Amino acid sequence: MTGPLTLAINGAHPRTVDVPDDERLLDTLRWRLGMKGTKEGCRTGDCGACTVLVDGETTLSCLTLSREVDGSKVTTIEGIADDPEGRKVQAAFEAEEALQCGYCTPGFIVALTGVRRELGPEASTAALVDGLQGNLCRCTGYLAILRAVERVREAPR
Amino acid sequence: MTRSDAALKSRGGAEYGLDLETHGMLHGVLVPSPVASGVLRSIDLSAARTAPGVVVAVGPAELAALLPNGGDAERPVFPRSRVMYRNQPVAAVAARTLAEARAAARLVRVDVTNEPPLIDLEERFPEWPASLTSHDPAVVAHVVARHGDLAAAFRTADLVHSETYRTSGIEHVALEPHACLAVVRDGTWHVTTTTQTPFGVREDAAEILGIPQESLVVEGTWVGGGFGSKGAAFLEPYALLLAAAAGRPVRLAFGYRDEFQVGRSTLPAVIRLDTAVRNGTITARRVRLLLDTGASLPGRDFATGYSIGFLLGPYRIPAFEMEGYAIRTNKPPFGPHRAPFAPQCVFAIDSHTDGLARRLGVDPVEFRLRHVWREGDRTPLDQPVGPFGAAAALELAHAKVAAWRRTLPAGTGIGVGIGFWSTSTGAGGEVRLRLTATELVVEQAEHEIGSGSIVRGLVAVVERYFGLPADRVRVTSPSTATAPFDSGVFGSRTVAALGKAVEAAGEKLLETLATRARASGPVRLEFDGRRLLVVSGRTKVPVSELLQPDEREGGLVAEGRHYGRSGAIDASRVVEGTFYPYTDFTASVHVAAVSVDRETGSVKVLRYAAFQDIGTVLDAGMFRGQVEGGVAMGLGTALTEESLWAPDGRMANPGLLDYRIPTIAEIPPIEVVAVEGFLGAGPFGAKGLGEPPIIPVPAAVANAVADATGARVTELPLTPERVARALKLL
Repeated sequence: MTGPLTLAINGAHPRTVDVPDDERLLDTLRWRLGMKGTKEGCRTGDCGACTVLVDGETTLSCLTLSREVDGSKVTTIEGIADDPEGRKVQAAFEAEEALQCGYCTPGFIVALTGVRRELGPEASTAALVDGLQGNLCRCTGYLAILRAVERVREAPR
Repeated sequence: MTRSDAALKSRGGAEYGLDLETHGMLHGVLVPSPVASGVLRSIDLSAARTAPGVVVAVGPAELAALLPNGGDAERPVFPRSRVMYRNQPVAAVAARTLAEARAAARLVRVDVTNEPPLIDLEERFPEWPASLTSHDPAVVAHVVARHGDLAAAFRTADLVHSETYRTSGIEHVALEPHACLAVVRDGTWHVTTTTQTPFGVREDAAEILGIPQESLVVEGTWVGGGFGSKGAAFLEPYALLLAAAAGRPVRLAFGYRDEFQVGRSTLPAVIRLDTAVRNGTITARRVRLLLDTGASLPGRDFATGYSIGFLLGPYRIPAFEMEGYAIRTNKPPFGPHRAPFAPQCVFAIDSHTDGLARRLGVDPVEFRLRHVWREGDRTPLDQPVGPFGAAAALELAHAKVAAWRRTLPAGTGIGVGIGFWSTSTGAGGEVRLRLTATELVVEQAEHEIGSGSIVRGLVAVVERYFGLPADRVRVTSPSTATAPFDSGVFGSRTVAALGKAVEAAGEKLLETLATRARASGPVRLEFDGRRLLVVSGRTKVPVSELLQPDEREGGLVAEGRHYGRSGAIDASRVVEGTFYPYTDFTASVHVAAVSVDRETGSVKVLRYAAFQDIGTVLDAGMFRGQVEGGVAMGLGTALTEESLWAPDGRMANPGLLDYRIPTIAEIPPIEVVAVEGFLGAGPFGAKGLGEPPIIPVPAAVANAVADATGARVTELPLTPERVARALKLL
């Protein structure tokens, strides 16, 4: 079955799209709405490349049916910079060169933004790292990403 | 200097292979073989053809009508009779949607015999090395080299140290799977793809399809990780074939399960080592390698003759014999994986050497220092060793071990591993420089795969060579239709080879500018904040004034090439097969500190230090990124990563839950130290860096485990179960 649902993406006015009941949020974003900044990785919830925020909460878009989030606010990498916290995280990844091939990067930036929002600005590095365990990176060895995490923690509010 | 792709990638703006789409495109799906070994009787495509949305379905029978002479006979797109591995593509369909293509692929009826596959090397050759000869039909390559009086050395030895090591198959796990988009129109074959080697794909795909290389254009995208997985034609021939059959664009993409099941990577091996020692010095070594090369074709095995040299180590060995067999098994063909098979060889030889030193009661680092190559030594095949930072790096490692012994808690195991590598020349490379009034453009064939070699490495070479700021340099990657030739991003060669080509082109460019500026001596470039100037003595002329009218847009062009040379080996020491010389000599010496749980056998890496022989560091950020990334990947090889194959040829762990790569919580602090000054063949004496940092990781970790426990684990990866067995807990 295909039917309409409403999504408010990246702060824009809610829009209505027709999607099949079994379509994943990842595919709605990438192929129906053309927002390919959200990366498609394993499609089984193991790599974290497809992480988005749904009503502020970190969500794997590959394991989420679009219909499940009908009426929600969705934030993707394309809109993360509109959030001051997201912009801070993005800037830290750039400054620390916490990326190589870049394929996991949108997922990491969205996930760290979400975890920071959830845990608050005083959250420890260990707590933030805990929140990033579902995001895999094969290039950097994670240490540059950890330096970006530190930079975000130390950035002025 | 921040890499120029950082902002694009952190904002989700980089387009990768998996992001490709075009108007009117179809989705391709490959039909997998249901058996690992068998003979095809027939493939019935009729049900698939009439399924909803399907535009074309092609199998072996359709090749003759679609390709000149049906394509390559030795490597046909689809097997004509014998299936070599489970999930080997035997047919393909293209449909309007991916779901329709998948549904149709399931309707293809593949009638194939089911023969017992060859999966396990030691099950097939239990008596090896005794029972195996090069006449065995499973042998695709047999390499032998020897030198010196081996028998005498073993006869007169004080001690002979003999061991058998086993290594596992591993997967690349580049985050981005393979994907491409093919269009065939008016006799031109065009494919956009995520690749480490656009020209390599062109050559390879054209050969497989049986079409002239000139009729195929390969265009690249940003590459979401390579590690060797995207180094030759893979999905492209299938996509091109489907596009030719359908007369419409076809997108073909892999999922992770496909990557695991049919990706081409390192496969298991068995390694036997015998080392003779007299008066505390190694006098002879015999190494024997049984390497699983999957469904490799005879004559296409590249791994055995190259990697077996690593089993002698970067050590002075007066007498040696090395013998390697490449065995064809019913798994996907062996493919390059970041320093192909070197981490496995070094795990074996450096565990062996470490254990030998301990048996002799000699400090393992001192024992290595006693034997390690210095510049001017000769390799086993009698090539002179060039500038080599191994001894210097070992000295630093020695000091690190001592420091950690003082500061880390008792019971901590500390181990050292030493790897060596040589920057590949590939088949050469070329660049085209374009100098305009305001910038210098570097046109070349490769796309950024993540290391930074294109977006940063080449820019760093231009900065150094011309003294220009990075923001005046732009690197472009046109398609193979117009890009200068390059062999690819592999073998740690990119900056080394293309950087030298930049220098060669730069020399020509400056000569032309000197002539045009009527300079009496050499000229250089300068940026005054607005435009580029040609400086000769105290005279400065804007570049714009030296450009001819037809150069105003495209700039002044200079082309440069670099076809690097390797040294020569003494062929009289080669008995059979192909062995390869080295280009330069790169050492990686690592120190790992671990704790071992005495009840579970689980290993935790606490601290890590990497001393990397690099010649010259061209960019500090890139340097650190490659070493940290290589170490992390190597920790996966050392501790958790292992492809498991069931006896019927099915991959038993084709996903990230069962094939575990390191997560952010598992990486120890890594100290990264550059050992500079032992110059390599690259620009400003740089050595290749993509591969070396992964090489000694499993050895360093295994030696640390041995240091902590006194027990030697001889099989990769060092899972809790294997460590527990070594500790006699199981």
